[in-house]
Amino acid sequence: MDNLGFVCGASAIGAGLAMIAGLGPGIGEGYCGGKAVEAIGRQPEASGAVTKQMIIGDALAETTGIYSLIVALLLMYANPFIGNFK
Amino acid sequence: MLTETMLMAEFTVDGPLRSIPLPFLEGLLGEENACIAESVVSQWVVMLILGVVFFILGRNLKVKPETKRQAAAEWIVGFFSGYVEESMGPRYKRRYGPYIGALFCFIFLSCLMGLFGLRNPTADVSVTGSWAIVTFFLVLFTKIKTGGMKGYLHSFIDPMPFMIPFNIIGDFANPISQALRLFGNNLSGMVIGGLIYFALGSFAIALPAVLSLYFDLFTAVIQSYIFVTLTMSYVAMADMSED
Repeated sequence: MDNLGFVCGASAIGAGLAMIAGLGPGIGEGYCGGKAVEAIGRQPEASGAVTKQMIIGDALAETTGIYSLIVALLLMYANPFIGNFK
Repeated sequence: MLTETMLMAEFTVDGPLRSIPLPFLEGLLGEENACIAESVVSQWVVMLILGVVFFILGRNLKVKPETKRQAAAEWIVGFFSGYVEESMGPRYKRRYGPYIGALFCFIFLSCLMGLFGLRNPTADVSVTGSWAIVTFFLVLFTKIKTGGMKGYLHSFIDPMPFMIPFNIIGDFANPISQALRLFGNNLSGMVIGGLIYFALGSFAIALPAVLSLYFDLFTAVIQSYIFVTLTMSYVAMADMSED
């Protein structure tokens, strides 16, 4: 097996492993949505404000997932390691 | 070589930037093969659309609204200034209302560009990064204006002097995460859309449209809303004056 093939394969595995980080934001956003539903159930008249805060909280919880996505995309489309073998 | 075959595979997502050769630029700059990134061209389209729409909406305004056009324009302006007032307080309404409204409309229309066959400019990190840099300087400006240079420097040793590195990192992390959030959300939609098209082949009939509705329209609304909300809350948090 040549070195380039090894690097490409390892990068593909690395991209897949990076996306395991998607677990975290999923759990976090699930909590966020569940708590928002609880809050709306307790106070239905505040549903607008609660939804707004929930979306912002979701966006913040998503950050780590987005970072892992960017690492995965870099490994797939703009691999920094391949340059060493050209 | 393996890389070439990987790159030349049938499956292409509009991942790497495409460049558009522009003949008139060659004459202007005197360079051969003058190219410009596709995301810049689609931003020009967005600017043109927004400019024309708001120019038409803002013409011949009367004190007492007579036309539906003016009612629509007043509703848009009132919506954004009310939103800014609600999020940042009444002092910021006049100063930040126009910027926030323009930013929201620009991001929203940029995200929709993917539906019209142009490249989505927000799926390019340099575009979202430049908007985040604007936010960074707005935060810096607000901190220095409300707290003075002394207050700004003091904010780094707040609450404890050993927090200096964390505070400095925090200042830079906010715009970076803001840029990457918009970029990652839109690019992931584009990549997933490309994968679905590739997997379905010539049977791509109804499913891509439904997914596009989610990834382009829903993401456009949510992400532009989140981007402007975060911009406003960062600026409002940077205000150090005691009310």
